[in-house]
Amino acid sequence: MIQSVGRAARILKALGSESARLGVTELAGRLGLAKATVHGLLRTLEAHQLVEQDLETGKYRLGPAMLQLGNAFLDNNELRARSLLWAETLAGRARESVHVGVLYGANVLLVHHVFRPDNSLQILQVGASIPWHACALGKAMVAYLDGDGQAELLAGPLPRLTGRTLTRRAALEAELEAVVAGGVAVEDQEAIVGEAGIAAALFDHRGGVVGAIGLAGPVERLLPGGPAADLVAAVKEAARGLSRELGAGRPAVPGAGA
Amino acid sequence: MDAACVRSWLGEVAVRLEAERDFLTQLDAAIGDADHGINMHRGFTAVMARVGAAAEDATPGQLLKIAGRTFVSTVGGAAGPLYGTAFLQAGEALGDQASFGPRLLREALRAALEGVQRIGAASVGDKTMVDALSPALGAFELELRMGGSLETATSGAREAAADGMRATIPLQARKGRASYLGPRSVGHQDPGATSTALMFAALAHAALADRSQRFAGGARRPVSGP
Repeated sequence: MIQSVGRAARILKALGSESARLGVTELAGRLGLAKATVHGLLRTLEAHQLVEQDLETGKYRLGPAMLQLGNAFLDNNELRARSLLWAETLAGRARESVHVGVLYGANVLLVHHVFRPDNSLQILQVGASIPWHACALGKAMVAYLDGDGQAELLAGPLPRLTGRTLTRRAALEAELEAVVAGGVAVEDQEAIVGEAGIAAALFDHRGGVVGAIGLAGPVERLLPGGPAADLVAAVKEAARGLSRELGAGRPAVPGAGA
Repeated sequence: MDAACVRSWLGEVAVRLEAERDFLTQLDAAIGDADHGINMHRGFTAVMARVGAAAEDATPGQLLKIAGRTFVSTVGGAAGPLYGTAFLQAGEALGDQASFGPRLLREALRAALEGVQRIGAASVGDKTMVDALSPALGAFELELRMGGSLETATSGAREAAADGMRATIPLQARKGRASYLGPRSVGHQDPGATSTALMFAALAHAALADRSQRFAGGARRPVSGP
C-alpha cells in the first residue's frame, strides 16, 4: 500500500462525509496526521481539482473533478447503462418510481432512479445507500447469494430503520426463502414509514446476481392488502428482460418462472 | 381542558397548517418528497370535517381518536401513520374523561411519543418529528414537577419543540427518506419536526385561550388551576 495515496483517499472521504467544510487543523486532528502533511496532500489534490479551498474561510471541500469521477463511475456501470430503457418502461407501466441497485457490502447502492411519472417534485436518489435487509432490492439480491455470502450478511449488523424493519435472522431467512419461491422481494415500510417496494433480482450470463430492479412508492398503492398483482408481474417482466440483455440464459434464470 | 378546548386546538392547528403549507412543502422539497405541507393540510382539512361532524357530547379522547383515524386513512407518506398513531394513542390515554388537566395531558403526550417511536423507531438526533416531540414532552414534565400549570407547561413545551425543530438543521438524517441523502441532509430543517412544533404552538395557544375564557366566564379565582 502506498501510504500517501491512502492518506489522500482518507482526506477525500472525510470531506465527502461532511457537508461542512473542513480546515487543515480539523482534518489533521481527524486523521491523526501532522498539519504540514495534510497541507501538502491538500495542495496536491487541489492541483487536480479533487478538492478546492474556500477563499473566505480558507477551509477545504470536494472539488469539481469529484463530480466528473462520480458521473464516470455511473456511466461505466454497465448495469445502469443497460437498465435505462427497462427502468423507464417499468416506471411508465406501473406509474411509480423505479430503483436499480447493486450490492456493496451490506448496503444497496442505487445506481439508477426513474421518477414516478406524475410531474410531482421528487429528489434524485442515485447514490443513496440503503441497508440490504430493509429494502426490497437488497432482499431480492441476497436471496440468490451463495451460502457463505448470505450467512455473512445475515450475521452482520441489522439496524432498525422503522418499527417494521426485520432485524431477526430467522425472520430474514424466512423472507429470503419467500423471495426465491415467489421470484420477487417485498418491502412493507421496513426502510421508511409509509413506503413500500417490490423488486426482483438481475442475473448475468453466469447466472450470478448482479443487481436488482424494483418499484418504490406509497404502501397503499404498492401493497393494497398484499402486493398488487399487476405491479409484481411488471417488475418480474422487467427483471427477466433486463437479465436476458445482461446475458442470462433463458432457462437458466433462477426465480424467473412465471 | 375540555372537548371544546380540544376542538379549538385542532382548529388552530388547521389554520396554522394552512398558513404554513407552502413553507412545509418547501422544507420537504430539500430533503424529502415535497409533499409534507400538502399532505398535512389535506389531512387536517379532513380531520376538521370529521371532528365538526362528531356528536356534540364527544369526549376529548373520542375527538383525538377521530383525528387519528382520519389521518391514517387520508394522509399518505410517513405523516399519515405517524401523526395518526400519535393522535390515536393520545386519545386512548385520555380515556372517557369529559375534561382533563395537565397530568392526564402528560400521559397523552407520553403515549403519543411512544406510538410514534414504535412505528418509526426514531430517537432524538435522527432528524425527525421526535426531535420536537421528545423535548416538548420533557419540558412539559419538568414544568409540572416544578408546580407549573397547564398554561405554563404547554408554553414550555411550545418553546422546547421550537428549539428542537431548529436543532434539526445541522443534523444528518438517520431515519426516513432524508437519510438516503446522507450528508446532503445537513443544513435543512426537518419538515416533520416543524409540523410538530406547529402543533405545540397551537396547543399552548388553545390552553391560554381556554384560561382567558374561564376568567371571562366570571369565575374570579387564582391562576393556578387543578
